Order: sequence, then C-alpha cells, then structure tokens
Amino acid sequence: MKRQLFIATSLSAALAGCGAIGTKLTGNDRVHAILDAGENLDLALIGTHGLVREYSTRDISPDFPINSLDTPVDATYVHLMRTAFTSFRLVVDGVVDRPLSLSLAQLNAMPQTAQITRHDCVEGWSAIAQWSGVALRDVVAMARPRKEAGFIVFRTFDRDANGVPYYESLDFSQALHPQTLLALKQNGAPITPDRGAPVRLKIPTQLGYKSAKWVRHIQVVPSLAHLFGGQGGYWEDQGYQWYAGI
Amino acid sequence: MQTGKTVYRHSAVTRLTHWLFFIAFLALVSSGLQIFNAAPYLDASDKTDPARRVLQIYAPADNVGTTVIFGHAFTTTGWLGWTDDGMGGKTGRAFPGWITIPSYQDLADGRRWHLFFAWVMVFCGLAYLIWGIARHDLRELVLRPSDVPKLLPMQLYYLRLRKEAPLHGKYNPLQKLAYTLVLLVFAPLIVLSGLALSPSFDATFPWVTILFGGRQFARLWHFVLMVALCGFFAMHVILIATTGLRNHITSMITGRYRLGAHDGVGL
Repeated sequence: MKRQLFIATSLSAALAGCGAIGTKLTGNDRVHAILDAGENLDLALIGTHGLVREYSTRDISPDFPINSLDTPVDATYVHLMRTAFTSFRLVVDGVVDRPLSLSLAQLNAMPQTAQITRHDCVEGWSAIAQWSGVALRDVVAMARPRKEAGFIVFRTFDRDANGVPYYESLDFSQALHPQTLLALKQNGAPITPDRGAPVRLKIPTQLGYKSAKWVRHIQVVPSLAHLFGGQGGYWEDQGYQWYAGI
Repeated sequence: MQTGKTVYRHSAVTRLTHWLFFIAFLALVSSGLQIFNAAPYLDASDKTDPARRVLQIYAPADNVGTTVIFGHAFTTTGWLGWTDDGMGGKTGRAFPGWITIPSYQDLADGRRWHLFFAWVMVFCGLAYLIWGIARHDLRELVLRPSDVPKLLPMQLYYLRLRKEAPLHGKYNPLQKLAYTLVLLVFAPLIVLSGLALSPSFDATFPWVTILFGGRQFARLWHFVLMVALCGFFAMHVILIATTGLRNHITSMITGRYRLGAHDGVGL
C-alpha cells in the first residue's frame, strides 16, 4: 500500500512539477529561443504545399464565430462605412515597380474567384464559409514586386485597446498560393463591417489569425525586422508563431 | 537464464530515446492541456458542431466546474472547469494550472512548447524504430502471432489465477502487446492526428484528416490517444515500481539489468 501511495504521489508530482518547471523555463530567453526552433521545422517540413479541400454549400457553418479585435471605430473607418466604402482605396506599394491604389469598383471588376473552405482558429475551433473576391496573386502581379521583395505586409484599420495596430505578413509562397484571397464577399454577400469590410485577407492554408480583417494597405517589403515588434504580425509580436500552418 | 545474473539489456540509443521521450511526453501532455483550454470541447465532426459534442469542460457559473461527456454532466469543481488559474486564484478554466505549461493561461507559449516537443518525440521515435529494426532489437518486443495464445495465460498469471507464467523470451506476451500498441499504433496515430490539425498539412495530405473523420474529430482522437498513452504511462510506472524499481531504473541508465525470476522463463 505504501508503495502504491508512493507511485501515485510521484506520478502526480511529475506532472505537477512539469507545469511549475515549464512556467519558470518559459520566462527564460534562451529556452524561448530553443523552443522557437520548432517553428523552423514546421516551416521546413510542412510549409505550404497543395490546395486545401473545398466544401459544398450545405457544409457552410450556420454561425461563423467572430473572434477578432472590435470593429474599428476611428473616424476614417466610420466615414468609409457610412459612405458604403465609395472613397475606399486599397493601396499597394513598397518595393514594387507599379504602386497601386484600387477602389472597390476596380477590385470588383477584376477576375473573381470563390471558395468554400474551412477556417481553423488557433484556439482549436473550425468553421466553414464561402469566400469570394480577388486572388491575392493577381494584385501582387499587377504591382510587379522588385527582386529584393521578401514579404507582403497587410496593414488594417484595426487597433487594439492600447492603440496597437493589427497587421499581418505572408511570404511569397503563401501570398502567391492560388487559394489566398482578398475576400470581398462572405457567403455571397458583401463582407459586413464586423467581419472585415470591405476587404479582408482569407488564407485557408494558415490558422485564422493570418487572415487579417479590414485590410487597407498592402506593403511589399524586403524584411519584417523594422515593423512594429519585428515578428511580422500583431499576434506574432505577442508570441504566436509567424508560420501559422500548424 | 539464471536469476541474479546481470545482462546488458538496453542499448545506448534505447536509453537516450527513452529519457528524451519521457521528458517530451510530460511536456506534450501539459502543454497539450494548455492548448485544449483555449477551446475546451471536442466534437466528432470536421467543423465545430455543438450537435456532435463528445466532451465539454466549462464553468456554467462562478465556483462551479462542469464536465459534460456524451451529454451527461458531472460536477467537477476544483478539478475541471472551475480550477486554479496558475496565479494563486480560481477561475473558469478546463484543466487546472498545476497540470499545464505554462501554469497560467497562455496559448502562445503552450503551442511553443507543444510544437517543439512534438518534433523531439517524432525524431526520438524514428531514431528508436530505425535503430531497433537495424539491430533486430524490435523482434523481441513486437507481438507475433505465436504470442497470441499466451496472452490469456499471462494475464491469469498476473491475476494470480495461474501458478506459472507461459514460456516467453526477454519480454512476456502482455509486455509485447503493450509495447507494440504504444510504439507501432498509438504513438504514430497521435503524431498523425496532431498533424491532421494543421491546415497546411491538411492541404498537402487531406486524406489523413479525412481518415480521422475531419479536423475536430482528429482533435478528439488526439485527446483520446493522449488519455490512452497516459494510461500506459501509469501502468508502466506501477509495474516498474512493483518489480524492482532500482533495478529497472539502473538498467535504463547504465543498460545493465539484473535478471529476476520472471525474466525469460524457459528460454
């Protein structure tokens, strides 16, 4: 009996110790750096290959959760929203030969593509919706990125409670993926303000936090080091992995 | 074989991968529970679907923790649902802070630990299997058809309903069954069900996610396999502690094992 008690105690101590030791180690920069090596393996061994499955209309989730920062309330966005985004311009610039400023009408006039795909949140849930709009690669090709271009950054109208702007970034293999979309419509209707109107990114090969809402500015950059926290995105600056394929 | 004789039982690769696997397992379980806490429910479906919910752990009110399994609700206050927040307080949280990495709610760091040790487990497992196959070590460990009729007598022996264990080699038939299940079934499946959760992996190998019944279903499998492996882990520790704790631990460190009355009966 003593022995069983000893085993039970040591088993729970092993697991309980884990949390405590892990919490201590998490605060250590060197441990953090070692753990981050896992992301390089994810990127190298999983990467972004192949097309995600497309579903049928009957698979569409009846309630697609809204899980983001709040709908922007700044004067510019509110004005655009009240005027049906008529003066909205999607700016594409950075290290490109041909900077662009596209109105909603121009985006709607470009070749449209639609997909019914599954959205996987980093928290663990999944929801299916139909997204339609312009393939990001068409817009990128129009802007003609220069040789030094390394990443595509998405600036949004969105800010958190502390005023920190939401931004995201993709590398070229992710941005040129045929299913990476600048979505204008969700389930056939123009995207509503709480879901990222008028233009949001939809990248079904990556976890949800990559699919930035309220995109206003696409910037082609050589490196992410000089933007905000330097990790390539709002959530990335708060510790989430830049590679969100897993 | 003689009782009391010391033999070289575990190769350096086995010993090294064993302890790395042990560390990785603890880190993976506790960081996995941290990740589970971010969406504390499991559905037997592809997309999230409350109608197909198998497990949910939540706090319906302050100071109440509830666990719902197949629609049956259990009050689990203090253990599941309403638990310690890892910072000295109590909060609505599926798994308690004492069992998660980090102890407080932090999905980003939980993922960092999990995705690092997942690779440790994969590379350890591959090194062990390749080494074991190359050196024919696995032959003694993997269950063969000839072992099957010996499973019941061995179980009866353990239950003290039979005086003698059936004839066997280095490992007895039940040990072989357990190790075969863990090494060749559960471990590969828990890795695959984890990969099935990756949207990029799903794009490259959609059949894997489909075989598990969809993404949320894969999440359920991943959890169930974790519980099965924890069961094996508990059994493993209990058996080791009751059949010569020091001898077993020494052998997994130095490789040298002192034979007991139950080892290699008749061979």
